[in-house]
Amino acid sequence: INTYYLVTVLYFAKSAELTGHRSEVVPLPAATSSCQLWALLLELHPSLAALQDQVVLAVRQQYVALGDQALLLADGDEVAVVPPLSGG
Amino acid sequence: MADEVSCLKARLLDKETELDVLKKKLAQYEKNEKPCIELIDKVTTLTPLESKPLSNEDIMRYSRQLLLPELGVRGQKNLSQSSVLVVGCGGLGCPLAQYLAAAGIGRLGLLDYDEVELSNLHRQVLHREESQGQAKALSAATAVNRLNSTVECIPYNLQLSSENALQLIQQYDIVADCSDNVPTRYLVNDACVISRKPLVSASALRMEGQLTVYNYRGGPCYRCLYPVPPPAETVTNCSDGGVLGVVPGIMGCLQALEVIKIASGQGSSCGQQLVMFDALDTRFRSIRLRPRQPECAVCGEKPSVTQLVDYEALCGSAATDKCRRLNLLSKDHRITVQEYKAVVDNASSHLLLDVRPPVEVDICRLPISLNIPLSSLQQGKGGHLQLLRESISQSKGQMSGDGPLPVYVICKQGNDSQKAVQLLEKMSTSELDEITVKDICGGLMAWSQKIDPEFPQY
Ligand SMILES: [Zn+2]
Repeated sequence: INTYYLVTVLYFAKSAELTGHRSEVVPLPAATSSCQLWALLLELHPSLAALQDQVVLAVRQQYVALGDQALLLADGDEVAVVPPLSGG
Repeated sequence: MADEVSCLKARLLDKETELDVLKKKLAQYEKNEKPCIELIDKVTTLTPLESKPLSNEDIMRYSRQLLLPELGVRGQKNLSQSSVLVVGCGGLGCPLAQYLAAAGIGRLGLLDYDEVELSNLHRQVLHREESQGQAKALSAATAVNRLNSTVECIPYNLQLSSENALQLIQQYDIVADCSDNVPTRYLVNDACVISRKPLVSASALRMEGQLTVYNYRGGPCYRCLYPVPPPAETVTNCSDGGVLGVVPGIMGCLQALEVIKIASGQGSSCGQQLVMFDALDTRFRSIRLRPRQPECAVCGEKPSVTQLVDYEALCGSAATDKCRRLNLLSKDHRITVQEYKAVVDNASSHLLLDVRPPVEVDICRLPISLNIPLSSLQQGKGGHLQLLRESISQSKGQMSGDGPLPVYVICKQGNDSQKAVQLLEKMSTSELDEITVKDICGGLMAWSQKIDPEFPQY
């Protein structure tokens, strides 16, 4: 029941700067919701709190809204944290 | 009599020489300034674009794209009857405008209120060394006109605002957001939603770029994706964070591609897609987005935003990418560059702490400074704090009197140095020996402007 999957979290733009990582492998419980996913990333990197409500979260290159529905994760899945860029 | 004749002959010769000079001058002017482009400083009403058959010259000029079944004569004629407003003639807007003009877009509105600076030229490829100080809109229009004089080019030397945005955007078929700041991005988005125009939006910073077509065929708008503007202090701009010139170049070219596809009638596939470009790995990723959100404040079913608002207030920042000036400290915690110059001249013992990141210290520094980046102070990095303590006690040892050691903190423009002073103040009783900490107003750029013109600016 307590199965964990290894997913790759990709950090873009400001989130890469705040976490100091461009990517990292994170074990996630199988039935993680997007809200729990964000909470877990915040736990790993408290500095991400600066981006609360400002990021696009994507799982397998698909947008996920923050909610309680379980993300159907699998080993090797890619999670992307994408804050907007405004420069030009 | 003979006198009179020679006098007349001499006068005639003078006149002929004068005529010659005038003729040469005229030819010079005609060669250099063929079309006179007029810079516009307010929104005017434009006449509708006329439908014209392709001329033989058009057929020759566009032959290599007319051969594409995806474009063809129909697509080319559609292009020539489309108008595009380019908001921002910078790193994105330059390549975008260049390719749109080359491809034969009918009308190109080029909007920017800034002037060309030397530090723009590495990425804003339409401007030239001679254009420094000139309005960017005019400089871009001149370059575009040289490339394709059949494109109608309208340079707007004005700042897009809640007062003028709707009137302007309503007159164009497609809008391209090439701006460099958050308030303008929300303003352009809302104006496009209200005017029902597709918004081809790109952005770039450092080694990354993003592209999405908003408000297009049921796809989301910018606010559907980012309902709340980011706090101003979390936003990095190109003048702070830097950008590799070719990165906005690539994103501006992608923008041109999507504009051309929409204008020619082929349609864009980026309406529900966020394209991300990672220049470090040379990799593109596309995130599939949600459709338009029914609860969106501007494009939703019951929009709360039905007219343009104050976007600088909404975002808590000015509609510019120029640096904000923070004011975190009281006057007695700050000194001017002139006052610091006097400290140096009097050879008074002190410690000069430069809190810029190493990459900036590599560009230039004051020789006596100790460099500890603000980020290291914020993270309380042990090694760096140890170094600071040692430097302080060493400087204290050289002091004649007994009082606290003056520590002056400097950075590029005087924002980070204030944050560092606040941090050191908190530490000075607990972790550090007794010191007095002040920030140097305006930082190294003020030092260069007011004290040492030999010191580089960046
Ligand atoms: Zn929306």
